[in-house]
Amino acid sequence: MNSLDFLFAYFVFPGLLFAGVVGLLLGGIDRKLTGRMQNRVGPPIWQEFLDVGKLFSKEDITPSAAQGLIFTAAPLVALGSIVAIFLLLPVNSPRPALSSVADLIVIIYLLNIPAICAMLGGYSSACPFGVVGSGRYIAQLLGYELVFILAVLAAALRVGSLSVADVVAYQAGKGWLALQPRLLPAAVAAILAAQGKVLRVPFDIPEAETEIVHGPLTEYSGPKLALFRIAYDIEVFAVAALIVALFFGGPVAHTLDGIYVPGVVSFLIKCFALVLLTTCVRNICARLRIDQALKFFWTFAALLAFISLVSVL
Amino acid sequence: MTFVLPIGPQHPALKEPEHFRVEVKGEEVVDVDVRLGYVHRGIERELARRSFARGLFLSQRVCGICTTHHGLCYCQAVEQLAGVEVPERAEYARTIMAELERIQSHLLWTGVAAHEIGFDTLFMLLWRDRELVMDLRELISGNRVHPSMETLGGVRWDIRPEHELKVERSLKKLEAEVKRYIDLFTSDRTILARCEGVGVLRRQDALELCAVGPTARGSGVPFDVRRDDPYAAYGELEFEVVTEEGQDVLARALVRLREIMESIEIIREAIEAMPKGALRARFPPEVPDGEAVARVEAPRGELLYYVMARGGDKPERVRIRTPTYANLASLKPMLVGSTIADVPIVLASIDPCFSCTDRITVVDVETGASKVVSKLELRRRTS
Repeated sequence: MNSLDFLFAYFVFPGLLFAGVVGLLLGGIDRKLTGRMQNRVGPPIWQEFLDVGKLFSKEDITPSAAQGLIFTAAPLVALGSIVAIFLLLPVNSPRPALSSVADLIVIIYLLNIPAICAMLGGYSSACPFGVVGSGRYIAQLLGYELVFILAVLAAALRVGSLSVADVVAYQAGKGWLALQPRLLPAAVAAILAAQGKVLRVPFDIPEAETEIVHGPLTEYSGPKLALFRIAYDIEVFAVAALIVALFFGGPVAHTLDGIYVPGVVSFLIKCFALVLLTTCVRNICARLRIDQALKFFWTFAALLAFISLVSVL
Repeated sequence: MTFVLPIGPQHPALKEPEHFRVEVKGEEVVDVDVRLGYVHRGIERELARRSFARGLFLSQRVCGICTTHHGLCYCQAVEQLAGVEVPERAEYARTIMAELERIQSHLLWTGVAAHEIGFDTLFMLLWRDRELVMDLRELISGNRVHPSMETLGGVRWDIRPEHELKVERSLKKLEAEVKRYIDLFTSDRTILARCEGVGVLRRQDALELCAVGPTARGSGVPFDVRRDDPYAAYGELEFEVVTEEGQDVLARALVRLREIMESIEIIREAIEAMPKGALRARFPPEVPDGEAVARVEAPRGELLYYVMARGGDKPERVRIRTPTYANLASLKPMLVGSTIADVPIVLASIDPCFSCTDRITVVDVETGASKVVSKLELRRRTS
């Protein structure tokens, strides 16, 4: 892969531009659906673009008590790493833009960077709410990550490869992994962990508005907050994309009435459905406490993932 | 190591500015200090500068939620001073208006509570159903938020026969909805996880700290001014004082929800029993010397007005004791030992209304000062 292709992949498709637009749209759809579920009109689905655009036009503030370097670097690193995941995800065809023998490990690693950046941002912001939020972030990370990794491992073991491309290729031949009885618990566990990963009710504990204002992001404003918002919206998309690739067949190209429909269409539809599912869950629950969330992840969700893992061994 | 987490004066969990200095150790709350006085408005002084007739409007604006009860309590105290008998029909109309207010206040509270535990859908739906009551208030008085129904010596507007049908239709709808919410609060796993066993106020503490209203009734203290010291038409109506034995946030939520059901019944009963007659008695322009105390059961608990007159058309002194003030002391045993995550819902569980409460600035509250204040209150209440 030459450097021009790489730059195109990172910044345009499936990288920053594509993932950003889809991520922000998913965010807007999530807000619209939330509005409808709550018997409100809700904002238009392009509201996220307006919000982020407005944030970029605001003054850039770093609190004088904060550690400036980490405070500024955190949103940049978060966005950079979450976009990099799309180079490794099969968005249009089973072959991602970059692939290696063990890209699943890299993806899991990169998926955690935004959470770690938010955490560092919270600690460096010298704000009591940020510190409490960061503490909760770490605790929650330990909760959902175990479940998520177990679930991903179960899928990887079934296919016998740590490459996402291989997992998608396997499903193209033998059907979705989520439809296999042995892997269904893992798929459910992965979706539950994803709910915690993208901080949605009942697991929006690190950013619980009424308790600790906005958690680690309390002191963030203006462009830095905008970067975090974009990173967050892309993260929602990325987590959904990874689960779709691992358990729901990934991108599949179709030919409808002789018209060629590229794989990215089916991929986006599946991601969209998954995000809608998390939106519905977040609108019918109350927020749990951090100890209750950890208990849930380590017992029920981990058990589901573990059942799958043991049964595919 | 402990550090201080400032809840307020500006914080999303509080709808009004008030400062809770929460000392935490990790997630656990070790100590709480309350600092009042951010929304001191000098209302008592202003009441003393106005004539009785104009003071009524100010008293109705002490609180945006329990406006009818403030007006009612003020009227009762002043009527007592002037020795004016309120016509029967007016007493019933006041009762109906007060109960409508209780319903909307409790629905509002339940919505806020749902929001505090992150259940925003429930919050929106509860406030949607609250609009049914707001519409009824508008139908009867012309105003949604400040009906200004009561006036010195009676009521301003009649509850006409054509209103009764609409009231009944809305109440029926509301009854079905509230039944659903009670089911939800007793069955939803996430709500139970956040409310059950949280913010426990033991019955003994509730008695010692002089908790009032749903806060006390949630701890099994069956105290309700409507029954224990009847005013308006409550003496002639049959109703049950709702208590719960849970002593936690869930119990206080259930008390409020079940009180809505009770209020719906009271309104039906009052409309049925409402006699014909005059709406208001003539009120004299000047009031003789004297003192009067009136109390009503506001949605948040016992509300007390003390009015002192030295002749003329103005009061010499008015003292307002709001239910939130009586309940603030109960917050400490509820909060200490809980976690940061529980602080917002526990604070909300007494249904605080700070701008109504702020009279004086209590600056230092090391551990006892809030209790000292409540003991003064206790002496006044029992004397």
